[in-house]
Amino acid sequence: MTGKERIARILRREPVDRIGIHEHFWGDTAKGWKDYLNGEGNLERFWDLDVCECWPLNLVADLDAGSVIVAEDENTATYYDGNRATLRKHKFKDGTPEHVDFFVKDRENWEAWAKPLLLAGALDRRINYAAYEQSRQIANEDGRYFVLSGVNVFELMTYLCGHENLLAGMALDPEWVADMVDVYSRMIVEAQTRLIEKSGLPDGIWFYDDLGYKEHPFLSPGMYDELVLPGHKRTMDFAHALGLPVILHSCGFVEPLVPGFIEAGVDCLQVIEIKAGMDLLKLQRLYGDKLCFMGGIDARVICSNDKALIDAELEAKIPVMKQGGNFIIHSDHSVPPTVKPEIFRYYLERAAALGKY
Amino acid sequence: MSTEILANLSLAVQKGRAKDVEALIAQGLAEDFTAQQLLEDGLLTGMNLLGVRFKNNEVFVPEVLIAARALNKGTLLLKTQLVEEGVKPIGTVVIGTVQGDLHDIGKNLVRMMLEGSGFQVIDLGVDVAPETFVEAVREHKPQIVALSALLTTTMGSQRGVIEALEGAGLRGTVKVMIGGAPITEAYANEIGADAYTADAASAAQMAKSLVAA
Ligand code: B12
Repeated sequence: MTGKERIARILRREPVDRIGIHEHFWGDTAKGWKDYLNGEGNLERFWDLDVCECWPLNLVADLDAGSVIVAEDENTATYYDGNRATLRKHKFKDGTPEHVDFFVKDRENWEAWAKPLLLAGALDRRINYAAYEQSRQIANEDGRYFVLSGVNVFELMTYLCGHENLLAGMALDPEWVADMVDVYSRMIVEAQTRLIEKSGLPDGIWFYDDLGYKEHPFLSPGMYDELVLPGHKRTMDFAHALGLPVILHSCGFVEPLVPGFIEAGVDCLQVIEIKAGMDLLKLQRLYGDKLCFMGGIDARVICSNDKALIDAELEAKIPVMKQGGNFIIHSDHSVPPTVKPEIFRYYLERAAALGKY
Repeated sequence: MSTEILANLSLAVQKGRAKDVEALIAQGLAEDFTAQQLLEDGLLTGMNLLGVRFKNNEVFVPEVLIAARALNKGTLLLKTQLVEEGVKPIGTVVIGTVQGDLHDIGKNLVRMMLEGSGFQVIDLGVDVAPETFVEAVREHKPQIVALSALLTTTMGSQRGVIEALEGAGLRGTVKVMIGGAPITEAYANEIGADAYTADAASAAQMAKSLVAA
């Protein structure tokens, strides 16, 4: 059975040969494993994972912004990105730039600046057709389940306004946030429509929206239902209308939001972050009849590089999860370079053996 | 003079209603409440109640953010009056996110809760070098230094700050509180911090008991 068939069948709850297997890696992991990978740059192929992803959409407000330097000193450069977020980057150190400020803090600059730019058309320039077509072809050749990936409304709004402005806005001016959700979710649907018409269907759609952190969701279930769910529902209804299942990624503790996710149309919930307080087996008990799960294997255990600990983690989770026929194994976030590749191979082999039907 | 105003003030903070806070403070001062009463029995009581509900997952970040804004508005309006009444902050805290780390939502909530509990807070921002903490301690003479770290790779910088304070001969003058998602009580003990708490409301309570001790 190919990964493509396996994942399609798991998401439809049809019998398969074994549980699904997928993983994400830190950027540095491939570098650290260079010798072991023996020149293979495609980790999905090297480890024969079941899924192949492509991220072809760009929903930044100003496509032509580039990065405009606004201030500079000896060590740092401060610049605007396409969302007019002010970022500061170290000139001599690698790493994520610091968010200094956001231009869109409330309704005013959303309406005056971001919204008109987002609605200005030029949708074709936001879509990387070539990358999608190439990825789709490789996935087909390799027999992997091909997903069209992208961020959803919450994440897009945090890029534009930052978490604090957005979360305060949700409480102070919910109509403003509802308008952003409306605009972004329409854009997602329009861009995906265009892409799929021109370059063909994927096997599924994978949305990323980080709605939680350690032990808490960012917002209450009530606020999720009122403000974010309409955007999730619109984008997920679109996928379902094309017969495509939807995977939703969220970091953090989002258990209280799961009923809302189900209402929005999520078919598979991904990453189930154990260290943030998520409980895979509990979720299976509560929602296993309505959702598939991908994730929930404690990355700290994989990082221990200790086979006995890995065995214990897999034996505690796989036999229970596999009974549901709704499980794709994945760490609870991603695999860092400190994991030895030999250990990662051991982990995958054990998972496949324990997950066999 | 009816104490209803104080209860309403507390409620207005909990609901994040800055306009109501403004009106109630004007009314309270007109009715001869002291600024200290309005602050402590109205505004701060509200913030503390909300802090507990935040900890219990009854309210979430949006509600706390707008409550903090309403509280700030209130304390600003009371500022001159408080000085006239001779009310002093209960202590000074220097806070920052440690070097290499840019996460500040949690640190900001801790700052707001500390301010809400009557502390003067000097916020050094994010990606703060150990030397910068040392300089700030020299300059502001705080009772407490509060360090936030969200990355397993930057947790070590909290130890770095403690060592820098030791090196500068200032460790004995301050209590060090640490926090952030990957931090645990055990880690706080290991690096010789004085206190750890898991959330912002408990951080403010802990800070109070540290200055009282
Ligand atoms: C929002 C977020 C971001 C935002 C930050 C925005 C901002 N202005 O802060 C952005 C997108 C910029 C970001 C960037 C990155 N992030 Co980040 N981020 C998060 C996320 C989702 C939430 C953090 C948060 O704000 N929580 C809400 C606040 C309220 O909670 P809190 O910070 O924990 O604070 C509470 C308590 O901890 C406590 N507290 C906090 N500080 C203090 C201090 C004291 C003294 C005390 C007593 C208490 C206390 O009180 C607070 C309130 O109750 C977490 C997920 C998570 N599980 O935490 C990841 C997370 C922390 N990020 C992570 C990573 C990897 C990154 C990046 C490296 C990603 C990348 N590759 O670019 C960069 C790092 C940039 C840098 N150098 O710092 C990882 C860290 C993993 C690890 N092993 O360390 C996490 C855990 C995500 C994950 N699942 O892997 N991130």
